[in-house]
Amino acid sequence: MYKKSKNLTVFLFLLPALILFVGILVWPIIASVHHSMYVYPTFSDRGDYVGFKNYVDLFGKQYDFGKAVINALILAALSVFIQLPLALGLALMLGKGIKGERVYLSVYFMPVLISAVVIGMLWEKIYNPIYGLVVKAFEFFQWSGLPPEGLLANKKTALLAVFIPTIWQYVGYHMLLMYAGIKSVSPELREAAMLDGATDGQVNRYVIIPIIKPIIKVSIIFAITGSLKSYDLIKVFAKDAYNCSYKVPSLMLVRYAFHNQGGIASAIAVMMIVLCFGFAILINWMFKERDPYGKK
Amino acid sequence: MKKVLALLMAAVMVCSLAACGGDTPAPAASTEPAASTEPAASTEPAASTEPAVTADEPVTLTMWCIATEGDSNRHAYEQAIAEMAEKYPNVTLEWEAIENEAYKQKIAAAMASGEGLPDIFFTWSCAFLGDFVNQGRVYCLDDTLAKYKDELPESMLGNTTYDGKHYGVPTTMNIVALFANMDLLKQAGWDKVPENYDELIQCCDDLVANGIIPFGCAGGETWCVTEYLEPIIEKSIGADALNDIFLGRASYDNADVAKAVDTFQEMIDKGYFDPAGASLPNDDVKANFIAGRTAFYQNGTWNCADFASNPDFLPKVKVTEFPVIDSSKSKLGQLIGGPSDTLAVTASSPNAELAAEYAAELGKLICHYGYLDGCGLPAWIPYGDTSNINPLTQSVAEICANADAYVLFGDTAMSAVDKDPYLEAVAKVYGKELDGAGFIAELKGAIR
Repeated sequence: MYKKSKNLTVFLFLLPALILFVGILVWPIIASVHHSMYVYPTFSDRGDYVGFKNYVDLFGKQYDFGKAVINALILAALSVFIQLPLALGLALMLGKGIKGERVYLSVYFMPVLISAVVIGMLWEKIYNPIYGLVVKAFEFFQWSGLPPEGLLANKKTALLAVFIPTIWQYVGYHMLLMYAGIKSVSPELREAAMLDGATDGQVNRYVIIPIIKPIIKVSIIFAITGSLKSYDLIKVFAKDAYNCSYKVPSLMLVRYAFHNQGGIASAIAVMMIVLCFGFAILINWMFKERDPYGKK
Repeated sequence: MKKVLALLMAAVMVCSLAACGGDTPAPAASTEPAASTEPAASTEPAASTEPAVTADEPVTLTMWCIATEGDSNRHAYEQAIAEMAEKYPNVTLEWEAIENEAYKQKIAAAMASGEGLPDIFFTWSCAFLGDFVNQGRVYCLDDTLAKYKDELPESMLGNTTYDGKHYGVPTTMNIVALFANMDLLKQAGWDKVPENYDELIQCCDDLVANGIIPFGCAGGETWCVTEYLEPIIEKSIGADALNDIFLGRASYDNADVAKAVDTFQEMIDKGYFDPAGASLPNDDVKANFIAGRTAFYQNGTWNCADFASNPDFLPKVKVTEFPVIDSSKSKLGQLIGGPSDTLAVTASSPNAELAAEYAAELGKLICHYGYLDGCGLPAWIPYGDTSNINPLTQSVAEICANADAYVLFGDTAMSAVDKDPYLEAVAKVYGKELDGAGFIAELKGAIR
């Protein structure tokens, strides 16, 4: 009887959070799946039921969603293999306690504080094919090979040109996460390893990194899901997003949601949820397998 | 537990893109940039204390429009509404101005539900208003406009006429025009604007030979590419044929369209277009034209006011229409543009008859003041002193006076669903991913 009443109390205390969780998270996802089965020619008219046709169409020639997913995966790969190692390197360097640590920390973190739209406009000027920093640098050093239409309009260079600021912006964010982890590592461990004759590299490799592995895992999840749903910075470059060579899923989602194709937009949203969940599960599985103690 | 947490985190991160529930199918509503959803509303009652002209009982009318503080038509709306308050002292107009993109969504949602609609609303003509007419939400203006036939030419009503019935009051109109920097043309040995297509090509060749880039076009904003492509297609296949395609009466499967697209791409291949324009926004391309980087700039005539307000640039610039490419099918005076900005009345308005009369009078005044401000051409026959209007707008008015036919901007003429693949195909043409044959093949599959 007591246990039953305790359970009821627990349930009642959890209820407000549960209502919020279901109302603003679970239900919208279910609603998205439902919307994606219809045409939705206007906001209030769901149109005909089409089942999974929207998903099939997404990968057809008209929508070419596959290309957007590939672009997002390239961005995710660049984030994991370039952005995170950079962030880790900086965090290890600063975590060791160098002179001017706070200043470096602020400088590296600064891009995170700037609005993505401002960063987009800043880099747009850097890439400007007439007066941009890049074109002026090429002129100064008398280099050749810069496409006259600019890095953003050239199909070969556009993807990289867009991803550089995207990656640059969040290096500081991941660095701060890892830096906080490194600072929480007990100095005794570092000192003990040093006394045993370990070099800086060995201390990092065998002491620090294994301890901050959970933070690295979180960073990887953030980096990948962030890449899969990247929007703001890319939108600044893509402008009206017709035929840009760096389209990503969320860019397409917004475009179709507001061009009377709500069903397609919902299908894209569902695909993004599936991708993000899939990667989160995959990363968890990868890190669990390598846990030397087999703990969950 | 860790897995659940990780999944939750991932879910939280995507939830903003996932859905907003309810009946709306727009899963990304929360990701739209704030600027575009900003409801720049301003409700301004325009009641007047002037003595009553009519003895009618007081009526309040509501109006939605897009003349926000930053809109070039704002001044014209304010003046027109103030004058209307004197003309109709018994009518109190409560008007609300909403930012362009947000307005499109707001009016479409209100029309779909039929609730909370104003008496008078701003709309774009053709497919945009057509959707609302099909839903039975718009009041027919045949009786009202019959009283204004001497002031409002029938040719200006074509874009708001459905099944032979009139549903809109046009205000100002704009066309696509070719602006030329005469200083640069002079450097290439041209002291006049090219008058036919052969001359234009020769002029472009001369400009290129002199190291001057002929055209600037913003590839980052696809509507700017249509400002080049649509006149080229129109002057190749004729206004009627293009209009039929835009309005869905004919297919894109037309060899002449393919040829016109190839003509456009030949111009790109010959180096007539500034390659830097491919990634630039329209404001930069326009600034480049003003700064003398390109000799021509083809865009809407709403630019006249901006060019005219630059005293250093105004003496250099001339405006003309794109020359005829195939004279067997097209001729001068066939223009892209026409009356699109329109006022309409909702069928559900309790004072629909009065609202119709009020909308007609208001539309006439907005047209008048908009024309005086230089932000559009008059859809109504101009009156009063128009001698102070800038010379560019006057030149455009002359072009329009000799107009043979208007084909509305493609992205305005088409429904939202058709517009999307059209603009994508246009962008691919400019990016050289599609040639003429590819363009018609892609659109005949995607649109009809």
